[in-house]
Amino acid sequence: MPSLVSYIIVSAALLGIGIYGLSVKRNAIRILFAVELIVNAANLNFVAFARYMNPPNVTGQVIVFYSIAAAAMEAAVGLALILVAFRLNSTIDVRKLNKLKG
Amino acid sequence: MVNLPTTPADILPFIIAVVTSHTFITLVIFPGFIHLTIVVMFLTWYERKLLARIQLRIGPLYAGGPGGILQPIADGVKLIFKEVMIPYKADKPLFLGIPLALVFLGALPFAVIPFGQHWVIANLDVGLVFVFAVASLFPSMILIFAWASNSKYPFLGGLRSLFQQVAYEIPMWISALSVVMLAGSLNLVQIVNAQQKTWFIVPAFLSFIVFFIATMAELERLPFDLPSAEPELVAGWFTEASGAVFMVIFLALYMKLYLMSSLITVLFLGGWWGPAFLPQPVWFILKALIVATIIIIPRGVYARLRVDLLIKVGWTRLLIIALANVFITVVLLSTGVLSAWGL
Amino acid sequence: MSVPPDITFVVLTTVTLLAAIMALQAKELIYGAISLAISFIGIAGFFVSLDAPYLAMLQIAVYVGAVVVLILFTIMLVRREEADKDETGETGQSAAGLWLAGLLAVSIAGIAALAGPNLPATPPPGNLPVSQLGPVLAGAYPVPLVILALLLSGALLGALVLAKVDK
Repeated sequence: MPSLVSYIIVSAALLGIGIYGLSVKRNAIRILFAVELIVNAANLNFVAFARYMNPPNVTGQVIVFYSIAAAAMEAAVGLALILVAFRLNSTIDVRKLNKLKG
Repeated sequence: MVNLPTTPADILPFIIAVVTSHTFITLVIFPGFIHLTIVVMFLTWYERKLLARIQLRIGPLYAGGPGGILQPIADGVKLIFKEVMIPYKADKPLFLGIPLALVFLGALPFAVIPFGQHWVIANLDVGLVFVFAVASLFPSMILIFAWASNSKYPFLGGLRSLFQQVAYEIPMWISALSVVMLAGSLNLVQIVNAQQKTWFIVPAFLSFIVFFIATMAELERLPFDLPSAEPELVAGWFTEASGAVFMVIFLALYMKLYLMSSLITVLFLGGWWGPAFLPQPVWFILKALIVATIIIIPRGVYARLRVDLLIKVGWTRLLIIALANVFITVVLLSTGVLSAWGL
Repeated sequence: MSVPPDITFVVLTTVTLLAAIMALQAKELIYGAISLAISFIGIAGFFVSLDAPYLAMLQIAVYVGAVVVLILFTIMLVRREEADKDETGETGQSAAGLWLAGLLAVSIAGIAALAGPNLPATPPPGNLPVSQLGPVLAGAYPVPLVILALLLSGALLGALVLAKVDK
């Protein structure tokens, strides 16, 4: 079994990939991919800590349960917003979606 | 575990030990590859014969043996020799890879379905949720395949199929929740063990009905057939599949049929329990085939439902009945009425 | 390190991280979505190896079975003819993004590695059976459970209202 540090390193790597995508990509859907990756990195961290605590505590898994549900909700609403933005502006390039008004 | 062979004299005992080990037998022979392949091929022949008799025809007759029993093999040979046509600008890796993934996902849940007290490949503690998770992957595969076909009819059929399957997944799993409450575990072996005295179809009759109807919608069988309806969508999401691709998809559909029948048997019909004059797996397969028969028969009898009515029924009526049954189960369990039935 | 690396862990890490990178870098959005699904399945594999099988199945059912379907749907609905031309679309600040992400990831990993000797190297004995999850969810945290349910209905209605086509 790998040590807890290995799991934290994997989680940090996923976080890094997610932040790269969030800050660099232009397509709104790719930004959503990056956000989901970040949330998954955090979930992995929680579950790893839940297992490696002494004695293993199930609270971490409960937190991840809520996190999965919340992230699904956020993806649904975010995608609806992308759809609406596309209908109004015919583009999902976030550099062009920089006007608050219509 | 067995010792790896170190000298040539050790190889034969090693092979014998591996071949007779429980894992190997369950994985390859009994609820595993060989059994699955034979039963799925048998189901294709069985469906055609059954529908033929309902429609006052005879069905497959000539393909060797009595009653055309080798018809599935003849079908397979024919389909392999047909040309695989890939539509213009279709996405080739996806088009060829998704049917294989569909067969893989259709066969995967069999790893947790128990055919007898010890005839299970992997006795997971979360067996039922595993089947749920794998079943939730089907709609996305169908959507990707429909999109990868790069043509109107499959795409529309794929969208309708997606809507329909997603809509009926929820009543299905809420009615399975009643069974989980009655059995007290997500482990499929324990769910069957809890049905030793009474099958769950008796206290959870409403959820059996809901699960059954939702299964027929998931499998896209008539009367929920609109995604593959002929006059409207040619053949639905697999219109562009031909030859070997179609054969693989066809196999995947029948594997799903057998999977759902086995699941209904495990959850509601008492799995392998039956009088002791037949071995347990035989009872299981018998019950699964009876369920498959009842699923196949409406295809020759009923008319097709319109897709928007179908989706509406899935989201509203069935969901409410499933939730009502969960409530009824909670009430029955907490007032201890079911203790007389051994629950 | 005298412990041989666990083969499952290595394979899962490779698959998850590669699929995550592919999800962002693939030319076609649909391939990106499929890579994202593979990455999610990799994370589910991590959950299984961390004694959380129920969460792993939930992850597959919710993320791969629902979120990825939503994403595929949206991708299919926002296609334009020239949509794929600027698909390697980056904001021109990819170097800065790499530095930012790299710095953050390396600092977190560095802190973890420095604290390494104080963190457990092998999992403590004991396991987390699925039956423990229910009592904690419903018993110790009932209010968040109800709020989650209300939030889910709210999000669903919100997404429906947003995406509705006004006549």
